[in-house]
Amino acid sequence: MLLLKLAYRNIFRQRRRSLLTALSLAGGYILCVFSFSLSEGSYSNAISFFILDHTGHIQIHLDDYRLRPKIHKTIDDPQGLSELLDANEEIESHTLRVFAPAIAYSEKDNSPAQVIGVALERERSTSTLAAKITAGEYIDNALDAEGYYSAMIGAGIANSLNIGLGDELILISQGADGSIANDIFIVKAIVGNRASPDRTTVFLPLTAAQEFLSMYGSVHEVSILLKDDGEARVQAAVLQDQLPELTVDPWQIVESTFYQSMQADKQGNNFFMGFIVFIVFVGVLNTVLMSVLERTREFGVLKAIGSRPLKIALMITLETGLLASLSLVAGILVSLPLIAWFTFLGIELAEPMDVGGIMMSHLTGELSLFVFGMPLLFIIGFALLISIPAGLRAARISPTEAMRSN
Amino acid sequence: MSGVISTTDVCRYFGDDEETMVKAVDRVSIEIVRGEFATIVGPSGSGKTTLLHLLGGLDNPTSGSVELSGTNIAAMSGAVLSDFRRDHIGFIFQSYNLIPVFSAEENIEYIMLLQGVEASERKRRVTDMLQQVGLEGLGDRRPNKLSGGQQQRVAVARAMVSHPEIILADEPTANLDSKTGIALLDLMKELNENHNMTFVFSTHDEKIMNRASRLIHLHDGEVDLDERK
Ligand SMILES: Nc1ncnc2c1ncn2[C@@H]1O[C@H](COP(=O)(O)OP(=O)(O)O)[C@@H](O)[C@H]1O
Ligand SMILES: [Mg+2]
Repeated sequence: MLLLKLAYRNIFRQRRRSLLTALSLAGGYILCVFSFSLSEGSYSNAISFFILDHTGHIQIHLDDYRLRPKIHKTIDDPQGLSELLDANEEIESHTLRVFAPAIAYSEKDNSPAQVIGVALERERSTSTLAAKITAGEYIDNALDAEGYYSAMIGAGIANSLNIGLGDELILISQGADGSIANDIFIVKAIVGNRASPDRTTVFLPLTAAQEFLSMYGSVHEVSILLKDDGEARVQAAVLQDQLPELTVDPWQIVESTFYQSMQADKQGNNFFMGFIVFIVFVGVLNTVLMSVLERTREFGVLKAIGSRPLKIALMITLETGLLASLSLVAGILVSLPLIAWFTFLGIELAEPMDVGGIMMSHLTGELSLFVFGMPLLFIIGFALLISIPAGLRAARISPTEAMRSN
Repeated sequence: MSGVISTTDVCRYFGDDEETMVKAVDRVSIEIVRGEFATIVGPSGSGKTTLLHLLGGLDNPTSGSVELSGTNIAAMSGAVLSDFRRDHIGFIFQSYNLIPVFSAEENIEYIMLLQGVEASERKRRVTDMLQQVGLEGLGDRRPNKLSGGQQQRVAVARAMVSHPEIILADEPTANLDSKTGIALLDLMKELNENHNMTFVFSTHDEKIMNRASRLIHLHDGEVDLDERK
């Protein structure tokens, strides 16, 4: 207690110097937190954007379908797989999909299209497809009076074929058995706008797409949403063990281009942090060393009357730690409302910004233990580290020489 | 009477070069007896400070030995020596050397904290010491709010409070005016008599020498004369 008092009073002894040091510590901390919050925030937004849009946390395919899609690389027992996934406690939901390139025709026009067959109800709870509908309604699996299935089409196709809700759409593709696939579908919904990534997609009920493509109950892709965001890699490995004949990938692999650019960007960020922290610590080192040099005589006396050398070194560490802690408390008090505002309200950007390939029009931060805790540990750790050489210096002061130096 | 501190041919030389070497303390053999009020006298540069530092284990002799209650302190170092000083020796310095950010009370309390004395006992002893050195009511003042004489009284209390076997004081009155200096010396003498506390202090002040019961005269590091009165 007395030692803490001593440390505390010694800090307030050189008010101006301590204040400057505290300001640079707190300033460095706030800068670190802000930058962490920004990068974590914009990346987690980007991640949740594509995870919910279509990727999911984990995807399952046959072999290398993900890299070299071929219509015959199919998962042949999706029903069994679905049962397995439904029973898994870690999994929030999953959906089944088939893919095929096709040509879409209206009466007058044609356009290339990407056909995606989705398990309608599962898709609704796994991706944001339903929310992307801009006209019409999410389809069901039923045939209409004339025996046609419904379709949801990207706004780009609607535009280039000049068709709308209720119109007929003809699709031509190649079936899995090599036959020519063609059928008529009724447009029941428009998805996204003409700039959306889905602008040339045609969404069909899974069974309709399977029938159309002669796929007899098999699918190309299973996309899984987990309950816990951070578990993708772990759960992917678990599933891979259970499904040795299939290929299970976490989103970090599925979106590897994004993931790698994110990692590189974060590394750059860390480098920048390191630089700021370095500048702060040159100042702290200077303060600590100066305060030791100024008090040579005092430390000499403390040693003479019986303080152990290690105790003297600890006093310096305590002082530095206390100064850093007080500064960081101030830093947290300032940055907490700032980051909260940044996280919950965010900044509207004049121009959309590219975050690892995803365009963001809104910049928001992240409010998490990591964002506040990481720089905190870093700064406290470094401050204590820096106090060691100064402390050893104080511990080595010879009482006789200290007493003679006036 | 038993010896508290004794030295045998203790030497402290500064510098390696024969020509320029300073023999600050040269072949000194003295014995300080329990309850003594001994003074080391000599002109400036005669080796008083160096000898006191050797007696207190602050400095290591070039040769010879210093024994405190039968232990050779010249052979100690590090934490062992620190603990030994803490438990057996009290120091009073010429320029008071109180911790400026501590109040008078805290300055006195600190050494007991090092010794691991319990809080209630620390408080009791601090109050007691403040009264003995005549500073009742001034305990919460920082050194810069105390006069030189008062600061040195705090230093005396700090040296006494840990119950050392001997108190070493290097020219404790040199920074004080003569009236205050004599009052301080009277206080030390009183503590010496009331508690049988052993004191060794240095001075080159004639008026102060007269109060000592033993005068050890130093000249160029050697003991000239050792007289008991
Ligand atoms: N660290 C040192 N290095 C070199 N010479 C020293 C050192 N300390 C003391 N001396 C010398 O030793 C002699 C005795 O000094 P000191 O013990 O301070 O005498 P006093 O206290 O009687 O004035 C002086 O000549 C002084 O210059
Ligand atoms: Mg001297």
